Parts: sequence; structure tokens; C-alpha cells
Amino acid sequence: MQPPSPLVILALLAPLASFATTSLFSRGRQKLIAGASLFFMSAGCLGASALLWLYWDRGPILINIHWFATGRNTFDASLALSNQSLVMLAVVSFISLLVHIFSLEYMAGDAGWKRYFSMLGFFTFAMQGIVLSDSLLVLFVFWELVGFSSYMLIGHWSSRPEAGRAAMKAFIMNRIGDAGFLVGLMILWTAYGTFSVSGILSLPDTAWQTAASLCIFCGVMGKSAQFPLFTWLPDAMEGPTPVSALIHAATMVAAGVYLLVRLFPIFTANALLVVAFTGMITTVLGALAALSQYDIKKILAYSTVSQLGLMILAIGMGVVDAALLHLLVHAFFKACLFLSAGVIIHSLHQAQPAHLHFDVQDIRNMGGLKTQFPLVFITFLVGGASLSGIPFFSGFLSKEAILTALFVHTDITSWMMLAVILAVSFLTVLYTFRMTWSVFFGKARAVQSLQVSPTAWSMRAPVTILAACSLWLMVSWNPFDFKGWMLRHHEPSPSSLPLTLFSILWVLAALLTAWLLFRKENFNTNSVLRNAFFADKVYGWLLQKTIKGTSTAVTFLDRRVIDGGLHGIAYVQVICSHIVAGVDHVIIDGAVKGIATLARLTGRITRSFQGGNIQLYIFWAVFAIIIFIISSIK
Amino acid sequence: MTGIDILFYILMGLAAGAALAILFSKNVFKSALYLLVTLLALAGLYVLGYAEFVAVAQILVYAGGILVIILFGIMLTSKISGHALAVGHRHIASGAAVGLGLFFLLARYVKPSSDPNNLVPENTGDIGLTLFSEYSLPFEIAGLLLLIALVGAAVVTAHLKPKA
Amino acid sequence: MLRTDLLVYLGAFLFCTGLTIAIIKRNVIMVLLGIELMLNGSNVNLIAFNQQHGEALHGHIFALFVIIVAVSEAAIGLAIILRVYRYYQSSVPDQISDLKD
Repeated sequence: MQPPSPLVILALLAPLASFATTSLFSRGRQKLIAGASLFFMSAGCLGASALLWLYWDRGPILINIHWFATGRNTFDASLALSNQSLVMLAVVSFISLLVHIFSLEYMAGDAGWKRYFSMLGFFTFAMQGIVLSDSLLVLFVFWELVGFSSYMLIGHWSSRPEAGRAAMKAFIMNRIGDAGFLVGLMILWTAYGTFSVSGILSLPDTAWQTAASLCIFCGVMGKSAQFPLFTWLPDAMEGPTPVSALIHAATMVAAGVYLLVRLFPIFTANALLVVAFTGMITTVLGALAALSQYDIKKILAYSTVSQLGLMILAIGMGVVDAALLHLLVHAFFKACLFLSAGVIIHSLHQAQPAHLHFDVQDIRNMGGLKTQFPLVFITFLVGGASLSGIPFFSGFLSKEAILTALFVHTDITSWMMLAVILAVSFLTVLYTFRMTWSVFFGKARAVQSLQVSPTAWSMRAPVTILAACSLWLMVSWNPFDFKGWMLRHHEPSPSSLPLTLFSILWVLAALLTAWLLFRKENFNTNSVLRNAFFADKVYGWLLQKTIKGTSTAVTFLDRRVIDGGLHGIAYVQVICSHIVAGVDHVIIDGAVKGIATLARLTGRITRSFQGGNIQLYIFWAVFAIIIFIISSIK
Repeated sequence: MTGIDILFYILMGLAAGAALAILFSKNVFKSALYLLVTLLALAGLYVLGYAEFVAVAQILVYAGGILVIILFGIMLTSKISGHALAVGHRHIASGAAVGLGLFFLLARYVKPSSDPNNLVPENTGDIGLTLFSEYSLPFEIAGLLLLIALVGAAVVTAHLKPKA
Repeated sequence: MLRTDLLVYLGAFLFCTGLTIAIIKRNVIMVLLGIELMLNGSNVNLIAFNQQHGEALHGHIFALFVIIVAVSEAAIGLAIILRVYRYYQSSVPDQISDLKD
């Protein structure tokens, strides 16, 4: 089959073209910048959609691009088209386009408009590169580019110190994970001699596989905000809200899960167990932390952490397809939630009078906003329902897919994970309800007196589209059958009717509990949960403690052992040095001087060939003639 | 051994000895005079070899012309610099190696001479005829070369004095 | 009767002596003397070989042309020496090493 090169190039390079052209325009040409950016993103989105339409279910296609060769090692920069990458490509470019449209209004009048749009294009380009590239080396390059552009975007409002710190934190956390990724790449190269994913998957297993897969999982931990390295994600909320939507939905955190899906076959059983447990810890932690936040964006951030943990857990248990489905579904409803929150934050911020200053992101200041934001109320509700896994929404179906796949297993780990997932979905319903209730229902608090201007079309359109995409139709026609177009080839699993009924009941019970708990607008929360178990502080404390302990030990060692030893050594050295000095003078100096003289002689001889001295030129010419005569006459 | 043979050996010794004297001398002026000795000895050898015209040309042109030019050059350069002319030797080893090497190389292939045939004692007229018939074009070109050398030498030294 | 082989030895000797002088002398004028000596060495050869072919005078004519060329060379050479001397204030070839660059 002829590789669909033009479309792939369009889908991959259109965001890069957006980055390039927007960088070229001058700072003041805001309309031109936005126009160019939207044009290229639409082109890229169309290309990706066409690819998805034309090449869906055509099996994997490899577009071979030779990069360079050193010796016998060849490095390719091939592109791989498969169902997974096609879907990701389409979703990333689509959500990126919506975020671009949304940003038109949200970022209006921002001083960094040009930088913002060019970096959005670059961010998307880097993510498309991760999705498409077949070579892990190239993928790693794009991986780092994603890290870099997220750094730029999180720290977009660079005048705010928190933004800078958050950007730095995201960057450093990612670096920690990437170090592991890099080591994993080295191991893979040593073991397989190739960086090509398709090549690695086709080769037989090696003994290093567990190590390699765990190292690569380190990178995934950083990028997808898994347990030890998750603290950057809530802090990344310092960036503009559309960027948060993009990071959480499609580009950055999805990269880790996507990589895990791609490389799933090389993961050994032991490595998968680690993956599953990491996911389990993360999902519980995220859900608990989300339950007790006040900042609306922080709630959404921790919910993302929790949902990512869920996906990682599912992959760890071998439920790859369902995890990917959940990733895609999550992309839509999380983007919907973020952009809806963005509408509220933006409108409140604009309506906020100068003398009345309060945090517009704090849910304690909101309340009763459903009259002021009727459309956003609906979209937020749809997104929240999808997040909670309420029937007729996409989140329900993807969660069902994961649960069903786990349900058929009978071992103890599967059952444990099943219980964890159920608990987490219970918690999810709780925090979603709490958030929705305190924002839209109840009595208006600080926001009561604000006159909110009508929302611009460029903000309404994306949230409406994303809300529509969060319905069950996205996955399948039947609202209770997750085997839609994506999981058509999924292995047949036993009838899941009891499970479906149970989970519906479970969600309803959770809703009821939430209503009972949060209808009174009880804002007292546990500070342990609010700070996500003080993970940051624990890291800091641990670092401090270890460094202090180490330094004390080292001081002691230095004083007693090393200093004493040093004195002794010094005496010995002085004695030795006298002996050595004699030897030095005679033998070594002599040798060195001899060598130096030799070198000088050689240098003088070689220099004399071209010394600029005409007489020596004559000499060499005649010398050559003599040699020539001797050799030719015999 | 006839008187001519003795003269021949004396002249050869003179030429070679004067050449060696140039080689070992450290005085430029004396070297020029040693060169004169060599040239005159060679002119004598040419006469003995029935090459009177070349011998005369050798005496006229070399001894009268070139040597005078060289002596002028020596005096002019020493006058310009105001300090003694730099003399002395460099690269003695390489010069000696090349000189001796080439000499022995050349000497290896010298064959004992056979008897010369049909030597014409007086040949100045023949040389004139040959020059103006067979060698007329090279002769004219040689004249042109001398003219060019004359003009060239004048041009090269023309701006020796700085413009006042 | 002149011995041609001895004359040829003399020519070779003069040539090599001139060559050695041209290489080892520190004065440019001495170098010029060496070159003259080399030319004379070749002239000796020409005269000597002409003895083998008595009635043809090519050797003599050639020697004359060599003398002419030597004259031109001496004139031009000395002019250049004066010029160079003026420029570098030196007639020592060691110090005239602009060819190096």
C-alpha cells in the first residue's frame, strides 16, 4: 500500500508551520498571528481527520525515513501509522484546534500573544511527533520538545513568580523521569541494536527487558504525572487555562500513557505489576486530593492525576485497549471541563471590579452561577457527568471497558484493582459533585453582584463541541455497550450485564452520598488531603534530611579518618618525594628533555622544509632531483 | 707530456681551486675576485679547446661585464646598509651533502674520452656564419632578451631613491 | 690533446661547487656568484662535448647563448638584490622569508 505521505506530512508539519509563521510576524499583528495559527491548525486537523478516515483499520503502515548511519549502525526517523497513532493524531489536532479558538478570547490583549500562539503550535507539533515517530530516539527528541514547550507555556505569565516556579518544577520533575527514559533507551539499544519500536517488538525477548521497561516507565511517570513525580501537574495550573486544558487533555500527560500503550509488549509481568501499583497509588492519591481542594483548576488537576493513574493501572493489568479508549474519552471531557472553568474564570476576572479583589478560581467564592452561565453550566455538567461515569456519557463506557476486562480475571490482584477502581470512581463522583454544586448551585457568594458580560462565540463554540463529544455517541451507538468503533476487535468478554447494572447502582449511590455530604456546602477539608499528603513537603524534607545526614557523616569522616590518614600519607609522601626527586632528576627529566630535544629536532627538520628560506628550497629541489636521477637511472 | 698538457692541468687546477676558494671565503669582495680567476682560467681552457670566440666572449662579457656589475652591487649594498656585509655559512651539512652527492653522481657516468675528430683551429668565421644563418632567430631573440633585461634592470632600480 | 673526460669532471665540479655556494652562503650576492659558477660549469661541458664533433659548432653557439643569458640574469639579479636590499635593509636570505606566509 502506498504510504500516505502528503497527508502525514500535512498533519505533522502544519503545527510546525504555525509555529514558524507566527514567529515571523511582528508582535503587534495580533489578528494576523491568530489567523495564520488557526489556518495551519485547521489544515493539520483536516489532514489528521482524513488520515483517520482513510487508513483506519488498514493495519500498521511504516513510512521508512532514513536518518543517518554511523558505521554499521543505521538510525531511522520512520513514521508509524497504526490505529492507535491515527486516533491520537486526530484527537490531538482537534483538541489543539479548539484550544486555539478558545484562546482567541481568553488571551485577548495579552502581551505575550505572539509567544503564546507560536508555542501552542510548537507544543502540538512536538506531540504529533511523539504520536507518529517509530524510532524511540526521535520520539525522545519530541518528548523533550514537549517538555520544553510545556515549560514555556506554563511559565507564560513570567511576571508571576509562582508561574516561573511552577514551570521550573514541571521541567525538573520531567527531567528526573527522562533520565530514566534515557537509561532505558540505552539498555534497549544495547539489547536490541535498534531504536525502532516495530523492530524492537518483532525481536525476541532479552534478559534486560524488565530493567529497560522499568526505566522507560520512569519517563512515563514524569510525563504522565505518576506517583512520585506527580506534584508538578497541580502546580502547572499557574499557566493559562487553555494551556492546562491542552496539557491535561491531549498533549503532555497523554504522551506518557500513549508511550506505555505503544511499548506495552516489551513490558514483562514484573514490570507490569510495578506499573499497576504505581497507577493504583496515583489514582487513589489524586482522587483523595481532589476531594479537598478549593481552587477549581486544582480540583481538575488532581482529577487528571487520578484518571491518569487509572489508565496506568489498567495498562499495568494488561487492559491496553480500554486504557487507550479512556485516554481519548478523558481528553474530550477533561478539555470540556477545563475550558468551561476557563470561561467562568475569564468572565469573572473581567467583571471583577478593581476595588473588590478576590480569587476568581476559588470555589468558595462562587456559587449559584447557573443563571449567569447557562451554557457553561450545561457543558460543565456534561463533562462532570462523563468524568463521574454516569450512564449515557462517554466516561461511563470507557470505565465499563476497563472494569469488564478486569472482571473476567479471577486472580487476587485483579480483584484488588477492581475494588480500587470502584472506590476511586466513588470518590470521583464525590469531588465532581462537590465542585459542580458549589460552583453552580447554592447561593451566590462573592460573585453575586458581578455583572457578567455574555460569553464570546469563540469560547462558547469549543466548549459546546467538546461537551457534545463527551456523550456516549463518541464511543458507540449503544449507550451501554462500549464495543463501539474503537474496540470492535476486542476479544469477546462474557456478558457484563450484572457489572453494568452494578456500576450504575454504584454511581447512583455515590451521587446520593455526595448530595447528602455536600448539599450543605461544607467547606471544611483536611489539610493533609488538600496538600496531597504533603508530597512536596515530604520530598523537600527527605532531601534536606538526607543531605544533612550525609553531610554530618561526611564531616566526621573528613575530620577523623581522612585528615588523620592525610597526615600520615603526607609524611610518607615527603619521604617518597625525596627519593622520587632524585629519580626524577636523572631519569625522568633526562627522558623528558631527550624527548623534548627529539621533538624540537623533528620540528626543526619538518619546519625547515617550508621555512620561507629560498636556499633551502633550492636544497630540497636538488635533493629531489638527485633522488629522481638515482631511481630513474637504474 | 707537452707544454700544452701542463698548461691544461694548471688552468684546471686554477679554475677548481678558485671555485673552492669562493666556497670557503668569507669575504664577498675577495670571492668576486676568485670568480674572476675562475672565469679567466676557463677562458684559457676554452682557448686550448679550440673555442677562441667563446673564450674571448667569456673574458669580455664575464670578466668585463658581469664581474663589474657584481662589484658595483657589492659596493652599493654595503654603502646603503652602512654596516659590513653579512658573510658566513648556513645549512652547511645540507649544502655539502647535495653538492658532494650530485658531484659523485655525475662523476659516475663520465666515460673515458675517445679521440676528438676534425678539430678546426680557427672557427670564428664559422661561428659568425652559423649564428647569422642557422641560429638567426635565437640570436635575434637573445638580443631582445638583452634589451628587456636592460630596460627591466633600469625599471627595477629606478625608484631606489625616495621622492624628494 | 685535451682530455674531454677531465673537462667534464671540471664542469661537474664547478656546477656542484656553485650549487653548494648558492645553498650555504648567507649573502645574496654570494648566491649570485654561485649561480654564475654553475652556468660556467655547464659551459665547460658544452665546450668539452663540442670537441667530439669538431666541425659542428652547436656547443660553442650554445655556450654563447648561455653567456648572454648569464649576463641578463646577472643584471636583473643585481637590480632585484638592490631593490630587495632597499626594502628589507638586508642582503641576508634568512631574513627575507616572506615566502613563508
